[in-house]
Amino acid sequence: MATKTQDPVIGDGSLHVGDRVVYPNQGICRITGVEIKQIAGQNWEVVTLSREEDGATVMVPKAKVMGIGLRKVADVAAIDRVFDELATPNTDPQLDWKVRHRENADRMTGGGLFGTVEVLKGLHALSRLRPLPPKERELYDNARHLLVGEIAAAMNIPLHVAEDNLDYALWPPEGMTRKGKALPPATLGPPSPARAAGIDDDLGFEDEEVGGAAEATPAAPAAAEDSEDADEEEEKPAPAPAVKKAAPEKEQPKPAHRPQAGSAKKAKPSHAPARKAAPAKHAAKKPAAKHPARKAAPAKRPAAKAKGKAKGKR
Amino acid sequence: MIRIVTLSEFPPDVVDFVSRRLHAAYGMGSELEGEGEIPSSAMDDEQSAYDAVKALEEMDDDVALYADDKILYLTTEPLTAPEGPMGRGPVDGYAQYGAGKAIATAHGLADKGVPLEVGLAKRAAHYVGHLWDLHHCYDPRCAMHPGWSPGFAAYPEVALCLFCREKSERKIKLGST
Repeated sequence: MATKTQDPVIGDGSLHVGDRVVYPNQGICRITGVEIKQIAGQNWEVVTLSREEDGATVMVPKAKVMGIGLRKVADVAAIDRVFDELATPNTDPQLDWKVRHRENADRMTGGGLFGTVEVLKGLHALSRLRPLPPKERELYDNARHLLVGEIAAAMNIPLHVAEDNLDYALWPPEGMTRKGKALPPATLGPPSPARAAGIDDDLGFEDEEVGGAAEATPAAPAAAEDSEDADEEEEKPAPAPAVKKAAPEKEQPKPAHRPQAGSAKKAKPSHAPARKAAPAKHAAKKPAAKHPARKAAPAKRPAAKAKGKAKGKR
Repeated sequence: MIRIVTLSEFPPDVVDFVSRRLHAAYGMGSELEGEGEIPSSAMDDEQSAYDAVKALEEMDDDVALYADDKILYLTTEPLTAPEGPMGRGPVDGYAQYGAGKAIATAHGLADKGVPLEVGLAKRAAHYVGHLWDLHHCYDPRCAMHPGWSPGFAAYPEVALCLFCREKSERKIKLGST
């Protein structure tokens, strides 16, 4: 089915078998060869890549190699410019979510190094103003993942060191400098809406053994994230989304939790309908199973009453 | 299972606290595996701190690991890491991303005004998170927030934000066991 070709020319000729390349949105890959694959009765010349992160094989039609944005891993000079860019504070994030989404999607699809940097930097600046909505949080994490991988590959340093350095630029610690210029130390971001609402952050470990409290605590910041997803440009008040998020968690059939004052308060509204629903189900099920004959009677009575009432009114 | 190996002396209640917090954060078993020593060859050139990367690579232990087990080494010694593009910054631990070993130090916690057990547990949760491929998080309350930022002392509770928690759960579920 597949045959390997000799001395292949890949893309514009700058790529060779064995090169480390960056596949847009996938990360660092190594070109393992060029093969001719028979797919649907046609012969396709495909470039095979192996993703370094997990060894997954990626096959790209040879004619599309340059079109999809496959490129070599950046050199050290480019990484240096990346850090210059990261160390420059971004105080003006794009607030229009439509424009931001379109721009970020284009940058990530393009697969350029500086496009990824701009995505990360823009979302980072936005996160200093308010929590990111879930999709952008995911994008932020992807951009960070790709950038950390490329920095590590380019500089030949461990991933951990690469990420720490990236954040020395984004969240400069005290005394951090870049090319002799002191960077302003990171400040604490604004409290999330959940915190302003007075929700207790304690993990409530006593309950964690049963499996409950830890879920309640982190849900609070995330609830705020969800709320922002619904309407990106409108800042919503904290309590409403927090309650909204708590509801599905409380419905989980896990016993014995909720000791915390904050979370208990939060839980009240969500519990109320659940409790009401439970007896209603019982009432409906019991007669049906044990006394099927009685089931008809109550059904008739209300009907009769309703008739009577209706007559009376007339 | 997260296996904790102490490389310095810690009060038993501190290790117990760390272990319980790790269990709470990741929903995995966590236990004290034993004691060890940082290899002296991991001392950096200035003889002032241990190179965390070398320390993990050269650590000689006989901890039996199963498929998804993670080892967390705890120490009180100062750590350092190889110089990167931004130069040297504060280092309070090191983790092999997506692999099995991490180290966290209690060094410098007193300066931050955080109780030993709380600060160590937060750092431990942070580096174990890296073992599950978690990246740094912008939420100052999340354990994956960088340890040098003001959020570390401002929100000492050991908890992951929802995004990091869900991501870690996905990774744990995909584990080979």
